[in-house]
Amino acid sequence: MLLNVKDITVHYNKVDAIRNISIEVEEGEIVTLIGSNGAGKTTTLRTISGLNHPTTGEIWFEDQRIDQLPPEKINKAGIAQVPENRRVFPYMTVAENLEMGAFLRKDEEKMNRDLEGVFKHFPILKSRQKQMAGTMSGGEQQMLAMGRALMSNPKLLLLDEPSLGLSPIMCLEIAKIIRDIHSEGRTIVLVEQNARLALALAQKGYVLETGNIVLKGEAKELRDNEEVKKAYLGG
Amino acid sequence: MELTTFVQTMANSVVSGSIYATVSVGLALAFGVMKMANHAHGEFFMLGAYVVYVFYALAGMPFFLAVLAAIPTIAALGLLTERLIFRPTRGNVLAGFMATAGLTWILQVLAGRIWGLGFMKMIPTPYMGAANIAGAQIGLQRVLIVPAAVILLGFLWFFLHRVRLGKGLRACAQDPDAAALQGISINKMTSLAMGIAGAYAGVAGALMAPIHAVTPYMGRDLLITAFIVVIVGGMASIEGAVLAAFILGFIHTFVTTIFDATSAIMVGVAFMAFILIVKPTGLMGRAKA
Repeated sequence: MLLNVKDITVHYNKVDAIRNISIEVEEGEIVTLIGSNGAGKTTTLRTISGLNHPTTGEIWFEDQRIDQLPPEKINKAGIAQVPENRRVFPYMTVAENLEMGAFLRKDEEKMNRDLEGVFKHFPILKSRQKQMAGTMSGGEQQMLAMGRALMSNPKLLLLDEPSLGLSPIMCLEIAKIIRDIHSEGRTIVLVEQNARLALALAQKGYVLETGNIVLKGEAKELRDNEEVKKAYLGG
Repeated sequence: MELTTFVQTMANSVVSGSIYATVSVGLALAFGVMKMANHAHGEFFMLGAYVVYVFYALAGMPFFLAVLAAIPTIAALGLLTERLIFRPTRGNVLAGFMATAGLTWILQVLAGRIWGLGFMKMIPTPYMGAANIAGAQIGLQRVLIVPAAVILLGFLWFFLHRVRLGKGLRACAQDPDAAALQGISINKMTSLAMGIAGAYAGVAGALMAPIHAVTPYMGRDLLITAFIVVIVGGMASIEGAVLAAFILGFIHTFVTTIFDATSAIMVGVAFMAFILIVKPTGLMGRAKA
């Protein structure tokens, strides 16, 4: 198992944001967490990345326990997160943003190869290298944020709401790129409000409601589940 | 104003602007990365001057080496301040500000205890002679500060824009959470920012030592100026701080020459108020840093 989230509870100022969440991710999978706003999806991802720490429970990545590590150690271990709302560095150029994604790396040669890989997925970034990230459109910023995360060559990619605020066409474009990245053998955890998109991409899914996992299973089972259909797939 | 006086005042303005800029960039950088204001920044400047007093005036080291010695010494003080004050109070702006206000008094009293109160230190001028520009005599010791500031500011710009570690500081100032997700350690960046802040304030004090009254309280007025510079420049903006430093340098020097030093500070503060009314984010500030 690549990532094993065991029974974690996270508190924000003494209020629990998520309770007893367990998630298992096998190598090579796309696993999705779906649920409405405030269900605890983002908190779960932030906790895996080390921006929050669980009060109880454990998180294991490969053979390493990571739940009390700072974010930079978790990044070094091989987990990269594309945060909600992209969060590119607005006053840095596209090239600088990508360089920041590789902040800890010293293998310049392999880094350049990964940069070419990023430009293959996102050709627009190659032609915009000198542009300030903050002046790009939402879809372009999403691509930059994903490219930035890939620059650390992560074993596990965490995507937080990649479709948020994007046009339907851009959503499809991003979905195609997620598939491409996955087909290169990259493991992905995808958090989405757009459950239709997420369940189309993923092999496995978890449904969160108010900080709890209420349902889990194969993506196709979830697609056919009456409750999921009613609550998340619009009937 | 006569031409000679005018040229003299212009030259003094550039010198003042250079010092304000060298002192203020550190304050702006540290504020940008930590979102915390360091009240003891003026004492970093003061202690930089005392480093020159000890190594140059007392121990007889070459002036240039004494100035260089101020860099690691006060950088270390910046690192300690980060570790002992700003890290434990992170996110609590008022706590950090008040604790460093305490540090201000501690450092002033310590300097007074060690080196004595009341009389300013006699520091011989290492570079005698004067440049003659349009009849105005400008001491070489003052002139020297301008290229020194240009080199220091140029070096900082290069570090922040061309070196990955420096770019990490900018990333951290723009979005700490997103920076942390890229593997950039926030603790390392705040240490680095405070180290640079100390180094720059310290070297500015060191350069000023031969032409400034060296007393335990010499950082006080400069701190107020540095805060005005940083606010006018746009809080976290390094470029804004440099621009504002030279504007303030001109305002202070011209008003002091025509009227007096007290009026100069009043006009400086009025200028800040004016900028905040017409452009609340400062000259080069960003809506959301």
